[in-house]
Amino acid sequence: MTDIGCALLAGQVAAGARAIRWLDDQDPRGREVLREIFPHTGRAHLVGITGPPGAGKSTLVDALIGEQRARGRRVGVIAVDPSSPFTGGAILGDRVRMQRHALDEGVFVRSMGTRGQAGGLSRSTYDACLVLDAMGYDVVLVETVGVGQDEIDIVSLAHTTVIVMVPGLGDEVQAIKAGLLEVGDVFLLNKADRDGVEQVGRELELMLHLRGQDGEAAAWRPPLLRMVATRGEGTGAAVDALEAHAAHLRASGQYQRQAGLRSYHQFTATLREAATRRLLERALRHSATAALVADVHDLKVDPYSAAEALLAQTEL
Amino acid sequence: MTAKSSRPLRILLAKLGLDTHTVGITVVAHALREAGMEVIFAGLKQTPEMVVSAAIQEDVDVIGISSLSAGHTRSLPRLARLLREQGGADKLLIVGGVIPEEDQPLLEAAGVARIFTMGTDTREIARYLNDWWLARLARAEPATRTEPSAPPRQ
Ligand code: B12
Ligand SMILES: Nc1nc2c(ncn2[C@@H]2O[C@H](COP(=O)(O)OP(=O)(O)OP(=O)(O)O)[C@@H](O)[C@H]2O)c(=O)[nH]1
Ligand SMILES: [Mg+2]
Repeated sequence: MTDIGCALLAGQVAAGARAIRWLDDQDPRGREVLREIFPHTGRAHLVGITGPPGAGKSTLVDALIGEQRARGRRVGVIAVDPSSPFTGGAILGDRVRMQRHALDEGVFVRSMGTRGQAGGLSRSTYDACLVLDAMGYDVVLVETVGVGQDEIDIVSLAHTTVIVMVPGLGDEVQAIKAGLLEVGDVFLLNKADRDGVEQVGRELELMLHLRGQDGEAAAWRPPLLRMVATRGEGTGAAVDALEAHAAHLRASGQYQRQAGLRSYHQFTATLREAATRRLLERALRHSATAALVADVHDLKVDPYSAAEALLAQTEL
Repeated sequence: MTAKSSRPLRILLAKLGLDTHTVGITVVAHALREAGMEVIFAGLKQTPEMVVSAAIQEDVDVIGISSLSAGHTRSLPRLARLLREQGGADKLLIVGGVIPEEDQPLLEAAGVARIFTMGTDTREIARYLNDWWLARLARAEPATRTEPSAPPRQ
């Protein structure tokens, strides 16, 4: 086993941090470490925190860390912020709101840029979760980029998806709500100290009630909890809800299935990327297929026929 | 400025103690983002302990401290020492802000690699970091080649 792999399994912070860096940078050493630690993963409860920009996700994560620590859990956090599509650079600022635990050895906070990935996460967020899991963190909280309605990759990553809502977002919130409403396991109505909380609360309750009606009897009923993250109000109830959801998943066997699905998802994504790259590299080395690729650029053939033709020639 | 890289430089920016001058650090953060770097913003009121702990968790390459209210002659040597003690000796430590000339030898002796004083063009900061990063990547190259770019053997 590599030194980093060993040290990481022993819980050493610098080793885990370096492994995440390698995975984020697509350094081949990252994959090697991942292979070593994979058998030691599967324990952590992965919780996704998503919602509109500025909803208070980071502040809330800070409050959740405090409550989880009080309950004796070690907590890992991955906070994702957008990278610039033009320069690849990023300002990762979520950490600023998670200062209360800066010197707590039971807390590990890592910021990540999306690095060109759409969907609210980075390509290596899942890998980073595996590292924190193998390091022995009991709960891993993943804060996504502030999302709209279709940027919800977190759902296939987390055991439990938390949707953070706030009063006073305006009309566009209707669309956001519709998209997020279908995927949330726990709804936190944050900034309950603000005007308009009653109205948004009523609307959400109604929508959740309608959603609940077409599920089976044994299905999970997502709770809606009011919070004031800045004052830590409602944090205990929120952590209770996370635990109840994890218990529900375990009782129904979904906990394992979810992990398997997540792994399968990553497997197909990896295949898709590698296969496309290899196919194209091979195509460009032969004049006939290279011409086909050129025809796509020159709009001489529609993209679907070109893809079919290339697949036929490579006998796929 | 730089081409998008699969290995962007990661830098932690922070202010120590009760220094509340936020303009410089904010300007620098944006300039470095524009230069293709990942800027982890740790914010104000940090202690040397907090900065070192964050730098290790984030596995940054560079720590940048902004100091406009003195105090750096005590806090920075302490930060540099903690960094070495906790296995972060490979990280570059730089400072910017209002740093009187007479303080500079002390800071440099303590391990501060470069000092950027008032009025520095942010492009100069980006260029300095970029050159440092490219040199480091070149040195590490044999061991850290990313994704093979050659076509698969057949
Ligand atoms: C605006 C200002 C304030 C504002 C700050 C508002 C805010 N939110 O930022 C207010 C009014 C609040 C303020 C308060 C005080 N200030 Co004042 N303030 C200034 C002033 C006029 C400008 C600072 C500024 O924003 N510059 C613009 C930015 C872009 O420049 P910069 O910060 O220097 O950053 C550049 C470089 O230094 C460098 N850089 C900076 N940080 C970093 C970090 C890294 C990693 C890198 C690579 C580079 C880098 O790159 C930047 C781009 O070129 C300066 C005087 C001056 N001309 O600098 C005094 C000054 C900094 N203040 C001073 C003082 C004394 C104070 C006060 C103590 C009280 C007072 N007497 O006014 C309080 C203390 C506040 C506190 N607790 O920290 C002194 C500091 C003296 C010292 N350190 O020895 C100065 C120098 C004025 C003076 N000549 O006396 N201040
Ligand atoms: N009034 C009030 N303000 C809050 C509450 N929770 C968070 N805030 C404030 O909302 C602002 C945004 O909080 P963040 O935690 O940074 O929000 P975020 O969702 O993480 O933001 P992004 O990561 O940028 O999408 C901050 O100024 C917080 O202090 C709350 O319960 N009540
Ligand atoms: Mg945030």
